[in-house]
Amino acid sequence: MSRPDCSWATAKPYRSDPMGPDLSQVPAQGVAQAAPDRRGTLPRRRSPLLRKAFPYLLLAPAMVYLLAITLYPGLFAIYQSLFVVKFLTWTWTGFGNYSAILQDREFWAALGNTALIGAISLSLQTAIALALAYFAYRDPLIRGWRIVFLMPMLFMPSAVAFIWKLAFNDGRVISDLLGRLGLIEGNLDWLGSIWLARLTLIVADVWQWTPFLFIIFVAALQGQDQEIEEAARLDGASWPAIFWNVSLPMMRPVIVVAVTLRGIDITTMFTNVYVMTQGSPGGATETMSYFIYRQGFRMFNFGYASAASVLMLILTVVIAQTVVKRAFHSGKQ
Amino acid sequence: MASIHLQNIEKKYGAFVGVQNMSLEIADEEFLVLLGPSGCGKTTTMRMIAGLEVPTDGQIVIGGEVVTDIDARDRDVAMVFQGYALYPNMSIYENIRFPLRMRGIPASEHDARIRRAADMVELGAYLDRKPGALSGGQRQRAALARAVVRQPQVFLMDEPLSNLDAKLRQSMRVQIKHMQRQLRVTTVYVTHDQIEAMTLADRIVIMNKGAIQQVGSPDEIYSDPANTFVAGFIGSPPMNLIDGVAQDGHFVAPGVSVACPAHVRGKVTLGVRPEDCSVGGESAQGMVYGVEPTGDVTYLTVLAGTKKIEVKAARAYRSDIDVPVGITFNPAHLYFFDDQGQRIRGAA
Repeated sequence: MSRPDCSWATAKPYRSDPMGPDLSQVPAQGVAQAAPDRRGTLPRRRSPLLRKAFPYLLLAPAMVYLLAITLYPGLFAIYQSLFVVKFLTWTWTGFGNYSAILQDREFWAALGNTALIGAISLSLQTAIALALAYFAYRDPLIRGWRIVFLMPMLFMPSAVAFIWKLAFNDGRVISDLLGRLGLIEGNLDWLGSIWLARLTLIVADVWQWTPFLFIIFVAALQGQDQEIEEAARLDGASWPAIFWNVSLPMMRPVIVVAVTLRGIDITTMFTNVYVMTQGSPGGATETMSYFIYRQGFRMFNFGYASAASVLMLILTVVIAQTVVKRAFHSGKQ
Repeated sequence: MASIHLQNIEKKYGAFVGVQNMSLEIADEEFLVLLGPSGCGKTTTMRMIAGLEVPTDGQIVIGGEVVTDIDARDRDVAMVFQGYALYPNMSIYENIRFPLRMRGIPASEHDARIRRAADMVELGAYLDRKPGALSGGQRQRAALARAVVRQPQVFLMDEPLSNLDAKLRQSMRVQIKHMQRQLRVTTVYVTHDQIEAMTLADRIVIMNKGAIQQVGSPDEIYSDPANTFVAGFIGSPPMNLIDGVAQDGHFVAPGVSVACPAHVRGKVTLGVRPEDCSVGGESAQGMVYGVEPTGDVTYLTVLAGTKKIEVKAARAYRSDIDVPVGITFNPAHLYFFDDQGQRIRGAA
């Protein structure tokens, strides 16, 4: 360095004591730095054992709570399913309940009803939600008012079920509306026909849960790269062509997850059945959950009901696993 | 193959003016670059040509046809996007094929055309890969192939190289220029990179704040800037702009004193490019502020008064800082601008 006037030397001279040495002559590196004051705080030490256990201790309250309300009842149900239970009398039967269930026509009917009502309801709400989302996602109004579209699913399921019960059956609101439109004459007996009764369950479920899928699909579409859609437009694609060739394939993973969640929910559909139809007419609307409820709490075959719920759990897990795995596997290629 | 006419087009977003009253003629087979800082309206202009934005006012004519009210997909225009915009679910082959499918070109022609386009961008070996399995440069080449394959009337390129690293950018630049000359398609290219603009363009349009500042060949833009904005935007490092006063054929600013044409007078701005400055002499006096050797040249920054002047010095030039230094400006390459920033030309 050829510069004679280093900044520390030209800076205002600092003197701690008018009679003391002129500190401005001391090179900067030579001035002792005050050591940080550590008095009064001893470094804290933890035993290695505690350090290792600490994360688990933090997780423990939540884990205990979760295990208590899910794992314990689950294991208890599996255990109970091996017995014929009449209140306090437990008689060992091994897989007796299971073999009885597999020969029970009502069980197979309930399984069929669940699959049928669930499949129709799920396809309808997916299609409606996709169409609405695709038409609406560019609209700034919808971006701002998303929460309004969530309203139906924020209501208490049992309250919604009672409203639909009033609308279809007790209050005859729907029949009245259809009558005024001139579509039907008189009053429709919604519980008198197998398909009409199933339809009421489907309508109620679609009304309440389409918003769930809609909101997820809107988010997925808004997250898509705008440039890709514009590129497709310039490539000459019409709106439907863009949807089928570009947007929909890109949404696939989101659709699979959303539909799986909804599918699991629909498989365990209970509230609407309990409130609106109670399985009538003639068990045509009895779902798996309602079948289990009827076996357990109406007929008090607790072992039988437990066995049915174990079967249902296995079925749900297997289907959900297969669907998700397959969808994501093929998406990666 | 088509010419493009923009007639008094304007784009407003509420009170904000994106592009104001812009008229431009783009000749058939021309390579035109829209250059400007971000937010200057260059991308908006391109998107209006593409049909992705509707002008608030004015008319766009492509190949003799008024296309202002024609949807993007019916204008025979292909665009390359900054983010590539490849369809992630399709293979490169299907990506390139998409415009052919959508435009109803007979399937029997597809394969030959796709392979020709892919070979043009040297991507023939990657046709069955998905975009996710390609590098940035390969993706951008795939996007080029997709634009080329249907032989459009017009190419639009929206900062296609800005996501690539410097080395790749250089080789892609050459490839794009080669392809444009080979295909002879009218091309509009948007960039904020002056090197891309200078190297690629037949003509450059410099824009700022939604308005055209100057239109001209790269040479004209460089050696004959119309105003201080163009002068300060083009060149690396850019032109030195020194505010001062001119009187009786003499320009004076703190530390600077040079002769100027007699008709230049009052408050003016002197412009001089770093390569027209040389070390030693009387035009400007100052202290060395910094020296930056780059290998082939050395950039010297001189503090004259309060103004920093960039000088392109000899490769071997070295100096310590705060050393007095004199600079000579080449009198043949001095530019004067009035207090509005407009160039003062000729005798008045």
